[in-house]
Amino acid sequence: MSEVIFMDAVLSTMMIFWVLVFAFYALVHRGLWIFTDVARGMGLFMLEKALGPGIELVEGRENSAARSWIIQSALWLFFGATLTFEGLWLAHEPSALHSLSAWGYNPTSASLSSAGEYATLYGAVGMAMIGASLHIMPRLLGTELASERNATLVSFLWSLATFVLVIGAHDPSVLGAPVLVIGTTLQTLAFAAILINHLLTLANRTRAIALPAWLIIIGLVSDPLALLANYIAGGFETGVGQWLMVHMIGGTFFFATIAGVVLYTASVATGNALWSRTLVGATLVGSMIAINPLGAIDGSMAVGMLGLSAAELAPSMDERIVASFLMAFALIPILAFSGNTLVTIRGEDASVENSDSAGIPEINLGAVMLIPLTIGALFIQGDTLSGVAELSGMATTLGKMGIWLILVPLAFGSALALYPAISGRHLASQNRARWAFWLSAGGAAFGLTLTLMSDVIGMSLLSAGVLDPSSLAHDLSVTGSVMFYGAVIGAILHCLNMVSGLFRGTIVAEASATASSIKADSYSLASPTSVRRILAAGAGMDTEVVPVGESDDAGSATKL
Amino acid sequence: MSSNDESLGGFLQGEQEPSASWAILVLGLVASLTFLTLFSILYPGQNLPVLSDFETFGNLTGGIWFFILGAIFGFFSIIATMITEATRE
Repeated sequence: MSEVIFMDAVLSTMMIFWVLVFAFYALVHRGLWIFTDVARGMGLFMLEKALGPGIELVEGRENSAARSWIIQSALWLFFGATLTFEGLWLAHEPSALHSLSAWGYNPTSASLSSAGEYATLYGAVGMAMIGASLHIMPRLLGTELASERNATLVSFLWSLATFVLVIGAHDPSVLGAPVLVIGTTLQTLAFAAILINHLLTLANRTRAIALPAWLIIIGLVSDPLALLANYIAGGFETGVGQWLMVHMIGGTFFFATIAGVVLYTASVATGNALWSRTLVGATLVGSMIAINPLGAIDGSMAVGMLGLSAAELAPSMDERIVASFLMAFALIPILAFSGNTLVTIRGEDASVENSDSAGIPEINLGAVMLIPLTIGALFIQGDTLSGVAELSGMATTLGKMGIWLILVPLAFGSALALYPAISGRHLASQNRARWAFWLSAGGAAFGLTLTLMSDVIGMSLLSAGVLDPSSLAHDLSVTGSVMFYGAVIGAILHCLNMVSGLFRGTIVAEASATASSIKADSYSLASPTSVRRILAAGAGMDTEVVPVGESDDAGSATKL
Repeated sequence: MSSNDESLGGFLQGEQEPSASWAILVLGLVASLTFLTLFSILYPGQNLPVLSDFETFGNLTGGIWFFILGAIFGFFSIIATMITEATRE
């Protein structure tokens, strides 16, 4: 279908994508004409009755789907962290797991890193993000989720698909079967069910669609639309198209959906109003128009998952210019999202809710790290597209930083912050959640920074033509992998905390009644202040506000 | 005698679990790991008895295995938590 390309591949693909997204936007408003009711009926039939007795395996209580997705995301976070840690270790000691060859398992640093990416991106981040969206969308649309049962059931299918992808990352072909393609097929089935569920929920809305809901639904629907746009533009066979697919899905499915989830969570968890609607609009439009630079420097993930033949990334001059321009443009939605999230969390005044509750520090970290890592990714992608490839040695570690310091904190932080609303109980221990945050954040930040330093030394030696390996680079690599182990321990603690919280966590209604240890019977009002500040000082509805008299007269000695 | 205690022919068994009992388990685990490390210091180059007869465990060279052991311990504690919390009365 390459005849439809009328300019360069990048711009033509993006233009097709924009038209498709706009068509979806129009369809949401206008419906499907006389087919609306038919489509709705068929969708509901496919989600529940068509599955026969299988659907009876799961419960359909409110929030059961969100709970199932989020608990499984915590388990995948542990596997993702462990696989990534092993990948980092094998980078400096390739024979460390040699003894497993007795069992027929011969992992390499690359295969473990790739498996870690699948487990973290689609298992931990994807499941936390979709789980949170299943809780958020019905609330923003003033309705119920179209099918709680189906959404719960397909969470297991998604987990199975992720497991198959992790196997495929080690060996793409087992007994002649393309494992990654099988994993993608299973994931597509689960994803289609979730998308239909969200669209039916959207069709049953009782109020106007709030901006975070737009971000979530357009982010989700952009995944198939990005693939369709690439297919129409003939991008499946070209290196540029494969590279573009990775970045379009990263910028829409991951970034836009997470942005919607995080902006909702930032407001709900802190009790502060969303700071700016204009910035949410800029995030929504910008994430669709721009190319997100975060991600790999090649299209290997798209190639593997879709079973394509890998093509060399050799963009023309026009494609380089357009891609670089659209990547630089991505800073607008990223700055808008980051700024809006940070200011919403802090609030314009004292925070009524506890802004240090579980999940908020993670969201803070993700929003802060988004800007420097995007700028770093912009340099690396520009360097790759220009064909210089001087910075490509840092790309793998920077990609890991993007996953572990942006996507995981934002998606999993939202899941943690929404956990009480979803499960009806608080986490088993706030203290353990705090420890898990510091271990995860510290382990990922310091571990990957040291690994990046090791990469930079290796690149410098390579460019200087020094053949002897640097002992400093090796030591930094060892220390980096050991420090990343903090992320593994953090994931274990998060997982234990969430599982125990389901059974032993304080029930939300009880906790609200005794949430504050400060009991202010009276509040002395010395100067004009806001109601928010009075409430933040521990006052309740029955607190007596006592105005304290003030005088501008000059003071004098107290008479004894 | 507390109402929570059960008397079986003079033998007393508490129904409540002391909150600090896990500390004893951790102590035991740390002690066993310490002695395993001591083994390699006292007998350098010698294989671990019984365990080394298995091909995989006989070649456990490199520090990564201590970390993997920790991850396996963490994984089983997650599974144990799921089972015990779900079956808890």
